Amino acid sequence: MPNSTRVTETSRITGKSMLFEKIIPALLILMGVLMTALILFAAGVLLGIIHF
Amino acid sequence: MSINQVLPFISTALMLGFTIYVLQRWFVRRAPNFLFWGVGLAMFGAGSFAEAYLSLAWNRWVFFVWYLFGAALNAAWIGHGTLYLLVRKPWVHVVTAVLVIGSLFAGYLMLNAMPKLDATAFTTSKPVSEQYGTKVLEPGQTPPAGAQTTTTTYQGQQVTVVRGLLPLGSPVRLTTPFFNIYGLLTLVGGAIYSAFLFWRKRVLPNRVIGNVLIAGGALLIGSASTLTRLGYGQFLYLGELLSAILMFAGFRFAARPQPSDALQGVAVAAD
Repeated sequence: MPNSTRVTETSRITGKSMLFEKIIPALLILMGVLMTALILFAAGVLLGIIHF
Repeated sequence: MSINQVLPFISTALMLGFTIYVLQRWFVRRAPNFLFWGVGLAMFGAGSFAEAYLSLAWNRWVFFVWYLFGAALNAAWIGHGTLYLLVRKPWVHVVTAVLVIGSLFAGYLMLNAMPKLDATAFTTSKPVSEQYGTKVLEPGQTPPAGAQTTTTTYQGQQVTVVRGLLPLGSPVRLTTPFFNIYGLLTLVGGAIYSAFLFWRKRVLPNRVIGNVLIAGGALLIGSASTLTRLGYGQFLYLGELLSAILMFAGFRFAARPQPSDALQGVAVAAD
């Protein structure tokens, strides 16, 4: 049984973690926005809207 | 030798280690995602090395490597590995064929551009990313400090241009945004999607963090490259090194062995 307790602790995200409750979701949103901005920039270059 | 000339060599060494680490996994498991990641990372490393070399001296074939592998192809190939991991559908093989043919076509266009390179525009005083393209100056626009300008005829019009290594209107430059958009979508989008999937299921925190690091590293180099092409090249080499560190750390973190009971509960593939 000690083994299975350790397994649960290392493979599950605990509910009280600041990292997983606040920081990770914020980072995922921020990175999604930045990725979209970079894609739009590259598309703008491709379409000749942005001279580069 | 300045710190900015040393950093790309450190990035190259790190990417070499990362590439070997990933290709070793491909040799053992034969999974296509490892092969595409390995090839893409090798391209990234070759691009870093070429950039480092070009901060010291000029060589047209090193420039070929830098543009084709460093600026155009590497993100798309790394990202395609992520697509293989996330999507187990037959159409991915069609995308593979398009990627390979597109890469060969970009190589052909780059070879065609080689005799037309303007090596006299080259300087070691700024990153190659800031000087590879010839740009038309719009009326009233002032050239960047230290830039060499000339007047030429382009599409029947007399225009003033900032001289660059590749000629004005070089077709190979049109291919780069396609590869980079695909690379961003698959590499960054794939890592964000994977992290979100594990986070939502509340399992495998190492894979959440690993994928966040991978996405962060890829975005860092994407942003640094974009800033460099806009004339803010002072962050490029540091960005490249931090990107290599983040992606390697993310990969190692995500690949840590996990208890099998947790893995069974997670649907990684979107099939």
